[in-house]
Amino acid sequence: MAGVLVIEDDDRIRLALLLALEDEGYVVRGAATAEEGLRAQRQDPADQVLVDLMLPGLDGFECIRQLRRDDDVPIVVVSARDDTHDIVAALEAGADDYVVKPVAIKELSARLRALRRRARTAAAPVPVYAFGGLEISPEEGEVRRDGRPVPVTRTEFRLLCELAEHAGRVLSRQQLLSRVWGYDTGDERLVDVHVGRLRQKIEADPANPRHLVTLRGLGYKMQR
Amino acid sequence: MRRLGLRARVTAAFAVGALLLSALMALVSYELVRHSLLDERERTAIRAAYFDAAVVRTGLDTETPDVYEVLRSLDTGGSRRALVHREGQWYARTADEGPSGAVPAGLVAMVAAGEPGVQRVNVDGQPALLVGLPLSKSTGYYEITSLRELEQTFQVLALALTVVAMTVAGSGAALGWYATRHGLRPLTAVADAAEKIAAGDVTARLAPGTDPDLARLSTSFNRMVDQVAERIERDRRFAADVSHELRSPLQTLSAAASVLARRREHLDERTATAAGLVVEEVTRFEHLVDDLIELARSDRPAQREPVDVVALARRVCRAHGLPESLVRPGPGAAAVLWSVDPRRVEQVLVNLLDNAVRYGGGPVAVRLSRTGGSGVVEVDDAGPGVPPVDREVVFDRFVRGRAAHARAGGDGTGLGLALVAQHAAAHGGRAVVGDRPGGGARFRVELPGALS
Repeated sequence: MAGVLVIEDDDRIRLALLLALEDEGYVVRGAATAEEGLRAQRQDPADQVLVDLMLPGLDGFECIRQLRRDDDVPIVVVSARDDTHDIVAALEAGADDYVVKPVAIKELSARLRALRRRARTAAAPVPVYAFGGLEISPEEGEVRRDGRPVPVTRTEFRLLCELAEHAGRVLSRQQLLSRVWGYDTGDERLVDVHVGRLRQKIEADPANPRHLVTLRGLGYKMQR
Repeated sequence: MRRLGLRARVTAAFAVGALLLSALMALVSYELVRHSLLDERERTAIRAAYFDAAVVRTGLDTETPDVYEVLRSLDTGGSRRALVHREGQWYARTADEGPSGAVPAGLVAMVAAGEPGVQRVNVDGQPALLVGLPLSKSTGYYEITSLRELEQTFQVLALALTVVAMTVAGSGAALGWYATRHGLRPLTAVADAAEKIAAGDVTARLAPGTDPDLARLSTSFNRMVDQVAERIERDRRFAADVSHELRSPLQTLSAAASVLARRREHLDERTATAAGLVVEEVTRFEHLVDDLIELARSDRPAQREPVDVVALARRVCRAHGLPESLVRPGPGAAAVLWSVDPRRVEQVLVNLLDNAVRYGGGPVAVRLSRTGGSGVVEVDDAGPGVPPVDREVVFDRFVRGRAAHARAGGDGTGLGLALVAQHAAAHGGRAVVGDRPGGGARFRVELPGALS
């Protein structure tokens, strides 16, 4: 089963999470500091990472940024902090999902499973979605802008594919939450921040997006 | 009666002051002009009368003077009329032209006594000047000069001055309005800043030192805001710390409890029962901490945004294993986005449904409707209803349904409805409970401003 790295400075929480996640069938490793976690991830990458935000030394935000610099490993923040400010900052740093302590193990496990899913294959296989100079290739798992590959995380890619598949139609944030993150009901900021991150990568002018547009109160839409 | 505002009062005072001043000026100028014009006219009339009298005297200084002929020879123009009183007989230029009745007896007597006289009289309802000059012992010459034109001039002048006075009064009012706008601008700035702060923006400050007269106001206002902001920040940090300190050990408990729960069947009966209690109470404790933290921060202003409330309600029902058909959008509420705080409204729905499930025999309808600009959320249940004595109390903290006491348990936190009331209040609305037609309770939450 998949390997999960838990970066958590509280020994008791780390141990409890280790035990409970192993019960759920995961292979779990623990790290007490961001530095230790980053080293472990470099030497023997886990498939998924859980990060606390308040860590001694390097904090969680910086840890997420450094993890993200190396690869697109799904990162879930597990923090006791639930200020909008912290949530948005963690997501902007590159986290894929955010849960607030105490999180039930079933819930955490569901979040991890949802992030492991690959992009949903379209009903009729489409080789490439094109939006002007932007090309999305679900089969290859690649995004290109003006011919150059754009590095996106797995979650960003799933979000982009979902929007591209329904190009021209509005998807509500709740629809996106359920299709990309597998939430029945969840925090819409997750979608907003991911859309913001995507725009930074795929739009020529992220402040005035051409392809990935917002429809206030309704949701998001991909257009040519 | 409502007291007038400062601005209206200052404006009115300006208008009244300007009116008084300009009316006084107008009156004085009118009188001065009138006097000088009348004097001027009188002098001219007397001069002309003396001249005409000289002509008449010469004409009459013959053996058989024809008074009419003499009078006709006078060049009096249209505004003067000549009369001669000779031996008790009045003569005018024409026979019918005899306004001799207009000459007062006093003046006739005076002239007869050899004294010249001037008097203002009314001839045929027109103001006129009457000059009487003695020609000889038995003859007097009288000349009536019409003042009609002058009177018309006075009327035009009076009208002009009245208009000027009114205009000045109006300008005074405008000046007052304008001046108070400037004068009250600092107060407007204070009000704006206070509103911003009330809306949660504690960074709002008054610009210091723009006006030395107002420096004290802005300094003390800003100091007050600093202190308020500091206290809010301290409270916020405390709540965050408490929340962190409570949540971290709960995470350990929660994860450890799930390990216990998974191995329950491998435990002996006593241990399994104890493990079950731990698992249940950890769950309840989690909810309690969540609700407490939520309650501690629910006095913050609502973060309104356009929300599809019908979809939200359906989603909440689905997530709680309830049929979506419970949601009944009323006319004017469906297919319209409400401007509300989605997180708070979701919690209102969750808590009301939870309450209905726990104490109300299950929900039978979630109604979404509108009254005026307010969005209204109603949750009906099939329970025994809430007795009138309890209808205020149920929204207090740590109050649970009577049924819960009867069951001697109850796994609610006792904070659900208190949170509902707080979320309604954050939108400027309220939460009430009444009877549902046909039995059961109807919880109603009004959210003003959702649809305006």
